[in-house]
Amino acid sequence: MERLGNKKRPLSKSILWLILIVMAVIQIFPLIWLLDFSLASSNELFTSGLLIIPQKIQWGNYAKAFIDGNYLIYLKNSLLINTLAVVIVVLVSMMAAFACRRMHWKLNVPVKTILLLGMMIPISATLLPNYKIYSMLHMTDTIWALLIPYVAFSLPQGFFLMGSFMESIPVELEEAAVIDGCGIYRILFSVIAPLLKSSIATISIMTFLNNWNEFMMAKTYLSSLKWKTLPFAILDFTGEYSSNYAVQFAVMALAAAPAVIVYLILNKHITKGLAMGAVKG
Amino acid sequence: MNKLYSNKLIIFSLVLPGLLLFVFAILAPIILSVYYGFMDYSGMGKAAAAFIGMDNYKNLMGDKAFWTSLRNSLLLAAGFICIQHPIAIGIAAVLDKLQGKAEGFFRCVYFIPNVISVAIIAYLWKFIYNPSFGLFNNILKLFGFAGKVNWLSADNAIWSVLLVLIWHGFGWGMLIYYTGIKNIDPVLYEAAAIDGADARTTFFRITLPLMKPVIQVNVTLAVIAALKQLETVYLLTNGGPGNSTQFMGNFLYQQAFQAGKYGYGNAIGVVFIAICLIATVLLNKVFAEKKSARRLKNGTAWE
Amino acid sequence: MKRKLLATLLAVAMTATLLAGCTQKATTTTETTKPAAPATTQASQEATTKATDSAAPVTLKVFSNLPDRKTGQGLVEQTMIDNYMKENKNVTITVEALDDAAYKTKFKAYSIEGMPDVVSIWGQPSFLDEVLAAGVLAPLNEADYKDYGFISGSLDGFKKDGVLYGLPRNSDIAAFYYNAKMFEDNGWKVPATYDELIALADTINAKGIAPVAMDGGDGWPLAVYLSDIMVKMNGTYSDIVTNAITKGDFSDPLFKQATDLLAKTAKAGLFQTGYDTQDYATAKNLFINGQAAMFYMGSWEASMALDTTIDEAIRTNIKAFTMPAVADGKGTTSICAWNGGGYAVSASSEVKDEATKFLNYMFKPENLSKIGWENGVGMSAQDETAFMTGSETALQKQFLDFLKNASNTSGTTVNDRGASAFKTSIESEIQSVCNGTVTSDKFLAAIGAASK
Repeated sequence: MERLGNKKRPLSKSILWLILIVMAVIQIFPLIWLLDFSLASSNELFTSGLLIIPQKIQWGNYAKAFIDGNYLIYLKNSLLINTLAVVIVVLVSMMAAFACRRMHWKLNVPVKTILLLGMMIPISATLLPNYKIYSMLHMTDTIWALLIPYVAFSLPQGFFLMGSFMESIPVELEEAAVIDGCGIYRILFSVIAPLLKSSIATISIMTFLNNWNEFMMAKTYLSSLKWKTLPFAILDFTGEYSSNYAVQFAVMALAAAPAVIVYLILNKHITKGLAMGAVKG
Repeated sequence: MNKLYSNKLIIFSLVLPGLLLFVFAILAPIILSVYYGFMDYSGMGKAAAAFIGMDNYKNLMGDKAFWTSLRNSLLLAAGFICIQHPIAIGIAAVLDKLQGKAEGFFRCVYFIPNVISVAIIAYLWKFIYNPSFGLFNNILKLFGFAGKVNWLSADNAIWSVLLVLIWHGFGWGMLIYYTGIKNIDPVLYEAAAIDGADARTTFFRITLPLMKPVIQVNVTLAVIAALKQLETVYLLTNGGPGNSTQFMGNFLYQQAFQAGKYGYGNAIGVVFIAICLIATVLLNKVFAEKKSARRLKNGTAWE
Repeated sequence: MKRKLLATLLAVAMTATLLAGCTQKATTTTETTKPAAPATTQASQEATTKATDSAAPVTLKVFSNLPDRKTGQGLVEQTMIDNYMKENKNVTITVEALDDAAYKTKFKAYSIEGMPDVVSIWGQPSFLDEVLAAGVLAPLNEADYKDYGFISGSLDGFKKDGVLYGLPRNSDIAAFYYNAKMFEDNGWKVPATYDELIALADTINAKGIAPVAMDGGDGWPLAVYLSDIMVKMNGTYSDIVTNAITKGDFSDPLFKQATDLLAKTAKAGLFQTGYDTQDYATAKNLFINGQAAMFYMGSWEASMALDTTIDEAIRTNIKAFTMPAVADGKGTTSICAWNGGGYAVSASSEVKDEATKFLNYMFKPENLSKIGWENGVGMSAQDETAFMTGSETALQKQFLDFLKNASNTSGTTVNDRGASAFKTSIESEIQSVCNGTVTSDKFLAAIGAASK
């Protein structure tokens, strides 16, 4: 089965290649620029070149970014909060989706609508009142201040996707399990869950992407070092007293690194998962 | 089986976590927002808030910044739909024809900005726009341009902000379109080839029409994203200079936390939520009609 | 059998994670190696039962707006904290430091519950009015500070209805820092009049250098500049400004004159390209990297002379001058100076006695004033003549002279004289009037409306 492309004249093909390469450059160049400047010293930045070849590669910038930027703490917090969020979202959405799609009860449509409503609500509108609520409950500056909203806002998406994927599981399997004498929870976790592997993967990736880089809520609800997440590495560093640009670039590169590295390694799976999610969604 | 599946207690236990989260993290704040929207409150301390009825909302309607925010959201949505999406579809189509390792490579590269935090993107672009040593002005210098362009001036700021947002969101849009294109049955292409259609005709007569549902989803997402914009603009310009790049999310944040008008900020929030809900419902309605209309003409994809 | 076990395990795990989170607060605080600030008031409650016994352990929470603890004012603050802990072994002081904007946001959260014991404040209506209305700060006994050498008038901004609520930390003066070597190399002269300043802008621009690095992105430096012009034009502006804010009417000719001059200045290219969206760090960077000839900022940046991260060639050649005389101005010998930052004790503090003791310790002239002076940080609000070491930087001496030779000071700048809504409005609108998007009249009307 030949694609039309192979029948094209070579000129058109090279034009296509050119377009693709230009796009790639547009997408990537700012990041290359970032890396390049992060290895220079601050006063070398004020040049007219597009890229600079630093006189001496300033690895010290990265050292400063790592230490003064409290990198490890932020990284640890980000990993902790995000992993917890993903686990909770998967569990809760699976349970809720199963209840709404498979269980027999009258209220499943209203409940489904309520749970999906979250997708239409802009997060920023809840920043203010949540801040007040968390202040009154002494929750600001704790892990809950982030975990609860992160889960709550990733839930509708997860719930929706779980539901869609569940549709494709034949009811016969559940009927067989019931005959075998399984309770609902056992059916859910032993029969259904294993078949939802790709959906779980998709939801995990989407939730992770949603929250890993989130910082508005983090900025509003957190202030002390203890629970700050990775985006703070940049936010904190660019305060009034950090007039060393090159180190700021290094901080940004460090902060972007984990996500980019993971993405490059798991690229195929991530893209496939997201694509499936996008189509079903 | 029906008895087991109708067990109220179990159903309750299954949906309880989800519902609780919704009530606590979404519903309660909205109700509180509505409450504070009627108040004049600085946000400081346990001082009593003064009830002022609809005053906040009245002031909001007369507030230029509010209308600028709406305008900017519309501009952004237009930017997404008219600039980002066509390029995304085009690139997706080209990628589709490429095959092999190159396809995977480019697909991977295009999505990279999307895995990077908005905080980094915003600061990075702030540097790119820097008149003294920023990338853009250096590129201009390369072409012999003498002056220093102020990319974030009152006139230019909104376009510069739009550029960043369109650039950043490109990966997602492209991915969704790419998946849509991949799902088109190759048989249709074969049939078109037999009929003697060239690449252009194929694209416009077969690919695009079959992509309609995907396009609709993407357009909806784009409009909602344009409305919800907050993080990038907060870091890049914080709505400035002089409110020219203001977006609703940023505006409400600014009023509540910087101007000490917590009540006003919440009123903005309520209006904001209402607009998002209305937009979602409207878009769904518009596209649902189109969908059912198309179902009637099923099978005539390349007419 | 196994599957049922799995299901119950899962359920248990879920509840366990929920419960673990509740106890996590208590456990993580003991895991960290630094004395981290507990988010709840539990720790301080344990301390209050023994607060009266001075040998008993006390924890003081300090909330600071100086995130950089290694240079400048932040270093001074940290030094005093460390010294106090050394001298009072039973006291542990924990510090939470955020930059200005984050500080003010968190302050609001704390004002509802959990305010730290010693906090940084600004003795200006824009900050203090709302704070005092919420009853957040503890009143201080003014008589206690008679011998602390506070400059007359410096405590005024920290009082309400005659009661003192805080102590001022700095005397700030607005000035143009300039690169003396650049000036010398190019044969530029320090402008004696405002017209000379504008003319100098053209000369400097012609060389491709920014004349004055201005933090226009934050708005308040522009407002300070405006206040500076006003005091040079009129000698004083306190009453006129207070009047305008209370009435919501800025029609006094002084405002229009000053705004017009500011707009004219911006149009003449005195500030760097893109100043209206560039922030503090960007502006400062331009100056310390030799891309701008001058830097308009407050006296707290005098510590630049001692900042080793700045190139020596520039660092040792930083000098300053105050706003040049405006033609026909009545305030030729007036300067724009105010007492902004300061400290206070929280009204809800559980260790008020110790907190006040620490506050007083900080303000003992041999601490804040002396250490600040030795670290090249601007000037305190107290008499520092006793601490002349003879090795002051030229910059410090200059600022001392500015203050000494001034006939009067302006007091709090215009943007901080009203409520925070007024502050936000003027700091945003001033960007527009400077870059020409809005006329002076519209600007004055807008800020008038915001102050109502």
